[in-house]
Amino acid sequence: MSKAVVIGSGAGGSIAAMVLAQAGWQVVVFEKGPNHFSNLSGEGPIGTDFANDSLAMIVRNYPGPDPEVFPRTWRPVGVSASQYTGSVDELPQVVGGGTVHWDAKVPRFWDLDFQQLSALGPVPGADVADWPFEYSQIAPYYDEVEQLIGVQGDVTAFPAIVRQHAPRAAQYPMPPGPQMRSSLAVASGATAMGLHPFPFPMAANSTSGYNGQHACNNCGFCSSFGCPVVARPSALVPLRQALRTGRVTLVPSTMVTSVLLSGSRAAGVRWVRMTASGPVTGSEDADVVVMAASGIETVRLALLSSFPDASGKLGRRMMFHAFVDGSAVFLDERMHGYRGRSVTQCVEDAADPDYPGARAFAKAHGLPYLRGGLMELGGSQDPISEAQSYQTLLSLAGSARPFGTEFKQLMRASLLRDRLAGCSFIGHDLPYLDHTVTLDPAVRDVFGLPVARITWSAGPHEQVAQDFWVPRLKQMMLKAGAGVALAVPATLDSGGLPTGNHIMGGMMMGPDPATSVTDAYGRVHGLANVYVADGSVFVTSGAHNPTNTLMAVALRNMRHLAGGDGPATG
Amino acid sequence: MIIGAIPVAVASAAVLGTEGCTSSSSTAGTLRFFTSHQAAVVRDATARIAPGPADDPAEAGHPGAREADVTGYIDSMLSALGALDSAAPLVYAGGPWSNRHTSGPDLMARFGALDPVARIAWRRRLQGWQDQYRQGIATLDKLAGGDFTTASHAKQDKILVMPSASSFTSLLFEHTIEGLYAAPEYGGNRDLAGWKDIAFPGDIQPRGYTADEVSRSDGPDPVEVTGIVAEVLKILGSL
Repeated sequence: MSKAVVIGSGAGGSIAAMVLAQAGWQVVVFEKGPNHFSNLSGEGPIGTDFANDSLAMIVRNYPGPDPEVFPRTWRPVGVSASQYTGSVDELPQVVGGGTVHWDAKVPRFWDLDFQQLSALGPVPGADVADWPFEYSQIAPYYDEVEQLIGVQGDVTAFPAIVRQHAPRAAQYPMPPGPQMRSSLAVASGATAMGLHPFPFPMAANSTSGYNGQHACNNCGFCSSFGCPVVARPSALVPLRQALRTGRVTLVPSTMVTSVLLSGSRAAGVRWVRMTASGPVTGSEDADVVVMAASGIETVRLALLSSFPDASGKLGRRMMFHAFVDGSAVFLDERMHGYRGRSVTQCVEDAADPDYPGARAFAKAHGLPYLRGGLMELGGSQDPISEAQSYQTLLSLAGSARPFGTEFKQLMRASLLRDRLAGCSFIGHDLPYLDHTVTLDPAVRDVFGLPVARITWSAGPHEQVAQDFWVPRLKQMMLKAGAGVALAVPATLDSGGLPTGNHIMGGMMMGPDPATSVTDAYGRVHGLANVYVADGSVFVTSGAHNPTNTLMAVALRNMRHLAGGDGPATG
Repeated sequence: MIIGAIPVAVASAAVLGTEGCTSSSSTAGTLRFFTSHQAAVVRDATARIAPGPADDPAEAGHPGAREADVTGYIDSMLSALGALDSAAPLVYAGGPWSNRHTSGPDLMARFGALDPVARIAWRRRLQGWQDQYRQGIATLDKLAGGDFTTASHAKQDKILVMPSASSFTSLLFEHTIEGLYAAPEYGGNRDLAGWKDIAFPGDIQPRGYTADEVSRSDGPDPVEVTGIVAEVLKILGSL
């Protein structure tokens, strides 16, 4: 019987563990962070200690990783020295991974995302390529993931552009939940300018009992929070199925520090675990190693393990999405965006390279095409984050004291919380060879290992696409009745760092070892038994929240590893 | 639609409830880290950042840092350094809910133990903050000519924006907004003063919100576009 070590228990690792265990394999899942869930392998509702607690979740890094002990560094493209040490676009470091803090939005990538080079042609300066399969070949795996983790949505409400580029074979298992006031308000503005909003597909229960879990009750602490009622169990569903085979061991709070290579084979992994008396190390043998630590950490582990890199692309082509933060401020009404499931409406029109005017604008700026991305309509922020915004604004206002009664007046007026309908724009991020993850030469983590150094700046295409779409984003919010509408590239707030927690690339899939890092099924070129099952295998970034695609691709690739018993693929 | 989530509460309490024990934060007058003078300086400084009725006539009827006991929040937080190895250091409140809007036990009041990695991180962080508070309070006193608490409000405001105090003022601002707007289990937001002043219900589980509460308009509520609100709107419109 085969034995696999799976590194990471998030969206990809949980799928890998489920597929391999159901095929009869023994599986050991290493998770770097702790477990905040109870009754994982039982029946009925999963328990948790996550609460509606902004201080723990947003300020104090409860889901980790804590930058005091697990920092990263960042530098802009073209700069040699790191300019920042701390949190860089971190995903949670806990059992369940990124699906613990997500608001579970699950659009699909479009057909042209998987055939981006063939469909849209090359872009000078970028490394655009096709995936090793087409939309029609990944669609059955999307169907399966959406049934597995439980998605609410309504395919009959899809606009033509979505039906054209991402056709669905079946309705979602659950209907959309209550639509948020703030989302509906912005959606009216979208409609008024000819865009096509619809209920945002979301992997949260709108029906009690699906997967044995409760229905979402609209508590509002969704994006960035662990769900107190586990209404969006997400990766915990395949993880539970894995554990219930009896062949899976989940090892939390344990970090894999290297994949042990012997020639072109992995013999297993080496791990470290912190105890009260210091680090303890050990190793685990394996017939197959599956890496699913998320894009940045999987690349870091590959570099720490001295993987072969014939294509020279290991750690290159990192894609994070070029977000724009839109804010519609309503002066006549409080929008109570704190009630509901973060955001309930979305628009996909901006992903279309043939949106009226987009081709001409691209051409005028020296590009063959441009693509924006999905717009999330509605949503708000918590009071602590709101207060931080006013601190900045009071300084910009030239206030003699950026605090005091003026600060408190702003909190009561609540322009940027209770009167806010946020509009997040998920900008398509082209793959560039100089957007990289490397090992930082100086900064170490708590175990003394070099940390990931991210080199990334918003690229030339991304800036042109933002220039085209930002005025349209503002127009949409004003047509919705906002008294003030602003749309600001997220890099202006972040100081240039990537934001948004969409981590893709670094271990690009492809048939040719000369031009890709992993093969058409995620096996590392040059290594016989090491696979990657997370976002690092992405070839392009789509214009959408990536986790649904990540899980569908992991399902496809792990089925192949387990004996090819999934739907037929090319 | 409000879910009947009580079975989850019972199940979670059974699994997670035995490892934490109830912690109480500093009560007024009981200091764990600050000396009484240090606490008085922090109380006055945070009351300049978020004034209440006693600190600024414009805040009549609006509690601030003093009323919400932001100083108690900061004192509790800094004192956690000595208890990081204990069963319930005041770092992460428990869960999954407080039952603030429902009946039942406050499960957030049972703080959780830290794992060994988190202990290292919080030891570093709290050591840094303790140093910054000792030095920052001494700086405020020095800039006031000996005792910050005896300076006038106008003088205190001037001191807080002086270059040699500005990094400490930034730290105080961060911790003031936490003490006002974080869950009261952490020692601030006394009597929910911070949330009530901004009409925020705070944590709502396991009640949640009904479909009607999610979708409906709460009706007209025009903001008064004067003073700083008008100025900020102008800035936002120019971005």
